[in-house]
Amino acid sequence: MIVPGPDRQLRLAAMVQAVAALLWVPQALLLADAITWLTGSYTLPGHAVTLAVIFGVLGVMRSVLDAWGGRLAFRGARAELSRLRTQAVAALAQRAPLDPSLPPSGTVASLLAEQAEAVVPYLQRYVPLRWRLVLVPAVILPAVAWHSWAAALILLIAAPLIPLFMALIGIRAKKASEDQLAAVGSMNGLLMDRLRGLSTIRALKAEGRVAARIGTLAADVKRRTMAVLRIAFLSSAVLELFSALGVALVAVYVGFNLLGQIEFGTWGGKLDLPAGLFILLLAPAFFEPLRELSAVWHDRASGEAALRAMVGLLEGQETAPGPVLIPADGSVLRLDRVGFGYPGAAALVSDVDLSLRRGEKVALFGPSGGGKSTLLALAAGLLQPGSGTVRRAGKVGWIGHRPFMKNASLVANVTLGRPGLDAAPLLRRLLPGHDPARRVGEGGVGLSGGETLRLALARAIADPDAALILADEPTAHLDAATAAEAIEALIDAAQGRALLVATHDPRLAARMDRVVEVGA
Amino acid sequence: MRGHLLRLFHLFRQAAGWKLGLGLATAGITALAGAALLGLSGWFITATGIAGLSAGTALVFDVFRPGAGVRALALLRTGARYGERLATHDATLSVIAGLRVRLFQALARPGLGRTLVQRPGRLLFRISGDLDTLDTLYLRLLIPACVLVVLALVSMVALALLTGWAGLLPGLFLLLVGLVMLMLGGRGGLVAGGKRAAALEALRLRLLDLVAGRVEWRLAGRQEQAAHLALSAEERLRRADDRLNRLESGLTLWQGLAATALLSGGVILCAELVERGLFGGPAVALFLLVLLGMMEPLGPLRRGAVELGRSLRAVRRVGDALSQPLPEQALSPDTRDVALSAIRFRHDGAPAPLFDGFDLSIPAGQHVAVIGDSGAGKSSLVALLTGEARPDTGSITVPPWALLGQDAALFQDSVRANLLLADPDADDVRLWAVLEQAGLERVVREMSGGLDAPLGEGGTGLSSGQRRRLALARFLLQDKPLWLLDEVTEGIDLSVAATILTNIKVSAAGRTILLITHLRREAALADRIIRLSHGRVVMDLTRGDPAFDQALSTLRPD
Repeated sequence: MIVPGPDRQLRLAAMVQAVAALLWVPQALLLADAITWLTGSYTLPGHAVTLAVIFGVLGVMRSVLDAWGGRLAFRGARAELSRLRTQAVAALAQRAPLDPSLPPSGTVASLLAEQAEAVVPYLQRYVPLRWRLVLVPAVILPAVAWHSWAAALILLIAAPLIPLFMALIGIRAKKASEDQLAAVGSMNGLLMDRLRGLSTIRALKAEGRVAARIGTLAADVKRRTMAVLRIAFLSSAVLELFSALGVALVAVYVGFNLLGQIEFGTWGGKLDLPAGLFILLLAPAFFEPLRELSAVWHDRASGEAALRAMVGLLEGQETAPGPVLIPADGSVLRLDRVGFGYPGAAALVSDVDLSLRRGEKVALFGPSGGGKSTLLALAAGLLQPGSGTVRRAGKVGWIGHRPFMKNASLVANVTLGRPGLDAAPLLRRLLPGHDPARRVGEGGVGLSGGETLRLALARAIADPDAALILADEPTAHLDAATAAEAIEALIDAAQGRALLVATHDPRLAARMDRVVEVGA
Repeated sequence: MRGHLLRLFHLFRQAAGWKLGLGLATAGITALAGAALLGLSGWFITATGIAGLSAGTALVFDVFRPGAGVRALALLRTGARYGERLATHDATLSVIAGLRVRLFQALARPGLGRTLVQRPGRLLFRISGDLDTLDTLYLRLLIPACVLVVLALVSMVALALLTGWAGLLPGLFLLLVGLVMLMLGGRGGLVAGGKRAAALEALRLRLLDLVAGRVEWRLAGRQEQAAHLALSAEERLRRADDRLNRLESGLTLWQGLAATALLSGGVILCAELVERGLFGGPAVALFLLVLLGMMEPLGPLRRGAVELGRSLRAVRRVGDALSQPLPEQALSPDTRDVALSAIRFRHDGAPAPLFDGFDLSIPAGQHVAVIGDSGAGKSSLVALLTGEARPDTGSITVPPWALLGQDAALFQDSVRANLLLADPDADDVRLWAVLEQAGLERVVREMSGGLDAPLGEGGTGLSSGQRRRLALARFLLQDKPLWLLDEVTEGIDLSVAATILTNIKVSAAGRTILLITHLRREAALADRIIRLSHGRVVMDLTRGDPAFDQALSTLRPD
């Protein structure tokens, strides 16, 4: 199990909250005395008022400590979440860009954004509670035993099975809460799944049927969840029963002892009324931490799951980008006997020699899976070669197979936040008639294939220092006319730079100066 | 807002019915039994303590009835608590299920399509967050608030019977405390909760950008900045969280002080009454311990109050969605020809109309390929035909149609359920037949469960080629006179493309087909080619025309 080192703040929070909980002991003493002064034949209400005032002062202290402890616990827990997120983001930024073990971006985002939130209640509530679980009974039991060992024994017998119940609740409640979370999650998933395909559903005119189906499936999820919850709640009901019966038995025992009908259980003589009331007031507090535990139990399961998942994200291929070697012969890119294969897999490329000068246009031509994209990645420095050397001068302009598009303006998509770049002239040239402030949809929705390519092209050549343009299958999703225009734009844009394209489009290859067959 | 709340309440009642009341009743009994248990125990001990002072009264004191009462209340409380948890969770789950069905119905209308297409992540994220909040409205807010009121009212009656008018005070105080708590929580939580939701959304989107664009960021030398952007959203989120926690801590303090005041004040009140000789004996203990039990619902109410702001916003947003009228079903006219005449159509927010005076007629049985650049109006043409988009002016007649698009979605359900969407009455023989036609029969037979084999979200569990084939099989189940084909073989393997096109060819006879394409293999099915440019027909050729083959050859080959 991964638990972050108990932070100082969390430990302090746990202590403050434990002190607040234990202040109930003197408060109970005062309350018991006050009640005694107000009952019976001989009363002293003035004394009771004095005690009530002291009780109030202690109560204010208790409230302040409780709220302060909660703040401390939250701040400690939230700081830990910030730390974990910062680490994860740093690790993601360092992660090898083409690491195949990285989960899809959507999964990473929902893990780090939503699922990670579960860390806070876990650290904030569950971790400090562990202290109270030990400290509170450890103080209350002797306080009760001071007056009556029998009452203490009743509490001890009601709690006897605490470890046992903990295990019982643990297994049941954990499973139940996981199932319940999964169930609610899957109810959301059901709806989201259908909403994502809404246009298909509408095209099939199946709206009514799908609504009914969501109802059936949700009812099924509900039935299964309730079956689990019935058992899970039963086990916490047992805890509730024991604590309620513990209090009831203590009350009955104290009553009988006060009447003199039960003589044993005290350190000689009968209990008196204040002692009896004191014991009665302490009994529920004895069980309080346990009841809190069952309330926050599912915080633990989801918190630990989130911690595990986040730590898992930190493990993965990291690349320190290798040193950039500069070609000595004045070329922009030079590959010498370059080879590469993922660990445990056959080599994707081997012994490739390639050299590009400024103004040269070269096609890597061949079928899919032949290693064209791998060569581009090696040329860009996104992969480190297994053998041989890659030398490169200047920056790289990259046009990916599926160019990344931000949900932002066209300008922002061109500059990607690089300072000092003026995107407007480029956009006028490459995407005439488009408003530069036009917003691109999530994942590039709303742009046609040709527009996407032109935008990626503008991005690649926006930096005047980009001496090498790398393009991966730029015409793959375009019709003939659009592709022809895009090829011209690409060649035009690459003037004065070196251009290397990976393609299986013969018309694109034909427009290059050289064609290098790959994986044929 | 009130309309929304009423609508939601109505929806809750429809979904969960009497379970809502059962949950409330059991929760009330639990709290009352808890307070009564404490009160009776206190009375019992005090009474025995007083009686025990003299041997005479000790002997005649009836210990058994109160003793049995204490034990009975302990059992009642346990049982009621168990019943409460079952009833409230059952009700909540019913509400969850009902809300999703109703929301789907509300969202399944044409207008939403565009938002959903443009920003699906954001919209779905919001809906899902709002639903999560509404799910807990009953459990976290309604139940504690009602329990508080019930407990306050019952205690007022009980304590007033004991002490007269003074007994009303604790109950009134409790109601006031709860009300203030809800007001403080609702006001503070609305602002802080809004900031929190915005920051969480920003964090999520920036993380998406960071990961999805990691190659681009790195090569542009901007990966540090992309990471920094995500972390600044995290910092905003931390501050919003902190603000919410300050609010909650404030409410915790308020709760603690109120509880202290209730007990201290209770003792002082009793002292005053005893002083005046209006009250006394063991009942004092009962009075004070009942006060101790009355504070129980304050904890849950506090947690609910912090979320009140968030809940109200969710109520407003989901309420807005639910208050949209349900979409009407368009009736198919009794015609076999497709005709659009004098169509004027403008995209939302576009400066100029895409179609202006657009006419097109396709006689029944004709197979038409529509080609043209992106943005020429091909997809809008299909959207107009399917009713997904409405023209500003002009008339459209369309026979019953079936649409197969490149992005035909599959759903998290069985293979059978995915197919039956197209035709709920199809029997297994028919299903197997279309699967065989789509070249998927063997694959499905080998899946465990066959037709009942479950698919994951969006059809995961099948390869992308198999998904397209299943979509084709579903399409083939629809026996409609007009087929609308939107780039049906775009971006797929030759072999799958061949299966799809062969099948379309086989079943095409006697149907009208309108296919949108920029692939030669698809357009080759047609006997008429129309080229669109900027919303106008710039070329209209029929097979046999020498320019027809010429037009075909401008399209992309395999």
